[in-house]
Amino acid sequence: MATQVLPGGALRGDAPGGINPVGIMPGFVTRDGVTVLEAEPLARNPEPSRRYYFYMMAPAIITLAAISLYPFFWLIWMSLHDVDIMAGDKWVGLKNFERLFTRDAKFSNGWLLLIQYSAMCLFFEVLLGVLIAVLLNRSRWEKVLVTVFLMPMMMAPAIAGLVWYYLYNGTFGWYHWFMQSVGLLGETSILGSPSTAMIGLVLVDIWQWTPLIVLITLAGLKRVPRDQLEANMVDGAGEIRNFFQVVLPNLYPFLLIGILLRFMDNFRFIDSVLILTGGGPADATNILPVYLFDVSFQYFKLGRGAAIALTLLVVTIILGMFLVKIFDSPAARNVGRTEG
Amino acid sequence: MFYVPKNAIYKRIPRRKFLELGGGVATALGAGSVAVGLSSVVTRSPVQAASSDDAKWKQYSGTKLVFMSENTPPSFAIRENLKPFYDLTGIEVEILTDDLPVVQQKVGIDLRSGKADFHLNYVQDKPIGAPFADYFANLNDFINDDTLPQDPDGMGADAWFENFLDVCGTMYTRDRLIAFPYDSAVACTFYRQDLFEQHSPDFEKEYGYRMEFTKDTTWKNVYDFAEFFKKLRAAGQDVPYGYAQHQGSFAWTAQLDIQRLMYAHGQWTEFDVDDKLGSKEPGPTRWGDESSIFLMEKWKELASVAHPDNLANDTLQLNTVYQAGQIAMQVQYHEFAASIEDEKTSRAAGGKTAYAPCPKGEASWIKNGGQAVNGTSCGIGGIGINNNASDDLKRAAYLFAMWSTSKETQYNVLKGVGGTPTRKAVMDMPGVKEARQRPTDMPNALTFDAVYDYGIKDPHFVLGPKIPEANEYYQIILTEVQKCISGQQDPAATCESIRDQVDDMNDI
Repeated sequence: MATQVLPGGALRGDAPGGINPVGIMPGFVTRDGVTVLEAEPLARNPEPSRRYYFYMMAPAIITLAAISLYPFFWLIWMSLHDVDIMAGDKWVGLKNFERLFTRDAKFSNGWLLLIQYSAMCLFFEVLLGVLIAVLLNRSRWEKVLVTVFLMPMMMAPAIAGLVWYYLYNGTFGWYHWFMQSVGLLGETSILGSPSTAMIGLVLVDIWQWTPLIVLITLAGLKRVPRDQLEANMVDGAGEIRNFFQVVLPNLYPFLLIGILLRFMDNFRFIDSVLILTGGGPADATNILPVYLFDVSFQYFKLGRGAAIALTLLVVTIILGMFLVKIFDSPAARNVGRTEG
Repeated sequence: MFYVPKNAIYKRIPRRKFLELGGGVATALGAGSVAVGLSSVVTRSPVQAASSDDAKWKQYSGTKLVFMSENTPPSFAIRENLKPFYDLTGIEVEILTDDLPVVQQKVGIDLRSGKADFHLNYVQDKPIGAPFADYFANLNDFINDDTLPQDPDGMGADAWFENFLDVCGTMYTRDRLIAFPYDSAVACTFYRQDLFEQHSPDFEKEYGYRMEFTKDTTWKNVYDFAEFFKKLRAAGQDVPYGYAQHQGSFAWTAQLDIQRLMYAHGQWTEFDVDDKLGSKEPGPTRWGDESSIFLMEKWKELASVAHPDNLANDTLQLNTVYQAGQIAMQVQYHEFAASIEDEKTSRAAGGKTAYAPCPKGEASWIKNGGQAVNGTSCGIGGIGINNNASDDLKRAAYLFAMWSTSKETQYNVLKGVGGTPTRKAVMDMPGVKEARQRPTDMPNALTFDAVYDYGIKDPHFVLGPKIPEANEYYQIILTEVQKCISGQQDPAATCESIRDQVDDMNDI
């Protein structure tokens, strides 16, 4: 009967109890008639070269480039061209941008409306979200109510738009009837007047996305250090003072995350706006992303659309970086440090 | 994985080739489009000019086609009854339907990207036909091909109702034909005959003429009717508003709405071009001239006596408002008659509604010296073939285009779900003539007198504007007219703003 030392550190018979890590005991006879006496230690692997790391990362980089960087550079290219598959793309330089910034009133109006829309949505969502979260926190029905509150958020924005479209409808909409009955509206529906249409959109956004702020705030409330609260109460603080002096500062980074997410969403989600008003009446709700959609996919002016998209992208990146910088501020980093 | 006939000549990709093409990445990134692409297969059995008709119909048996259509009655009806076509040709057709703006986006992307995921397209005349005219196959090539079967009633202009082939098939040149008329939406007046008769004596006392609708009823009369109903409401009477406009978010029909008024007064059109042909370079617009400003003032006056939710009601909603009994009159497309006459959903059903041509121009409102006509606008939905498809797929698609617009198919749709025929020959089919009178089992036929016998004929019918930038044009009109109606700007400023934007759009 042959005996052999098997290569590979894993087969060394030095595990506790004399059993090696893979469970083969010295003296074990393999199927080939080899008796295992002991195993040699593994040689240490050589340090991988930089090229090795590059090869390992290459698939991810290529995929990322394909789905992100390539369209980005393509977007820049398109914004400098008059895009037309039949006639061929024509280089126009900065003409698309020149048009936007010099004589396209819908572009500037779109920015103003977008800022107005985002500001209103964020203000009310944060206000209501924090309020609801504080009321729900540690209440008896917290879990049930959180589940109920989250339901609108789980609805696709397009579906939410359709539901509210029918609720607002001047002919058979229940909300229209209600608002008319309590004197908030006349015979004109909320979406039928340039002065109220934006409010109609904001209400839908608040209804759908306040739950997200509630969820994030609730997570923040669970992390408010108890010792800080107790110390403040020892100093004579009541519930309200405690909220403003301890709870709110600790919620700060959580709220920033919520604001960042909602801010980005308002720049991207136009499903419900398209369904509810399509940007009207009289351009009263023609926020920039809706205008971008029209230019690109209704008028098929892809070059001009790319120029609009690029400005939107640049502003989003700048504002995103600004918010990230706030996250990185010492004040934000130190919040909640005393816990544990 | 998928069934592919043995003689398939399309889209069988060898595994090695697939891998060479980076099939894995393509699959991951474009699963949706690949799935659609795989659904199209073409097979061919060669035929000669002398082959039998049966062989010509069957030459593409085993082929699969995709038709992207608006969600209109013919498409629903045909989708439910594709078996006769399959039995005739052996071709499988998948009909996808969606709202017009969505169809326009999907078809536009498909056409402009050089793809042919949709071999057959719904060519709504101005919104889809005008911007994408160059991307559709020239149907004249197939009409003149003796290796393809041909419809015994013909496919030329004479086979269709007057002007219909021009509306959807002719864009910018008569050398090419891009679509056959598939369905039609022609404007006419729907009004509550019961209410008109009930209130006519009171109306006559105040206005000095009877409240009735004929082909000579003018836009001034429409204003009077609407004002009268509004006064009754203000006096506390339980009556609907008199009138409402299509000024909601659907830009195209909002433009068609004001177009009827403009054209009725001296046949005013936006550009100095042949309205039936259209133009890729239409030149300076007429918006801002004396006629347009005057008529915009009248449009605003009409809005002031219309239903107060005017800016929220697009065409579909407006019809709902009428169905709900909230207005006594609407200028609407004749395809909606079936919904109005449905007693389950409409308070205006049961013989309460009558149909008349669109209102006529008021002589004193004409500023350009032209004649007063019953300005009748339309949307003629055509069926066209994607020119990016292979020659065989285009030929197979032609078979469906021809079958789906045949008089038998149109007759079945008319009887089934209330279609709106485009072929003259349908009028001679059994029961159609009788259906024009109540009681009827084809409610859309109640509009035929107003539409086919009158509105679509020259000089009443307005076809355009056929310009490549049609959709941007509609949006400009909608936005500026809404500003005018809501009091944000006066009519003159509105017309001048339209002029500036439209001329800028056309690089004037």
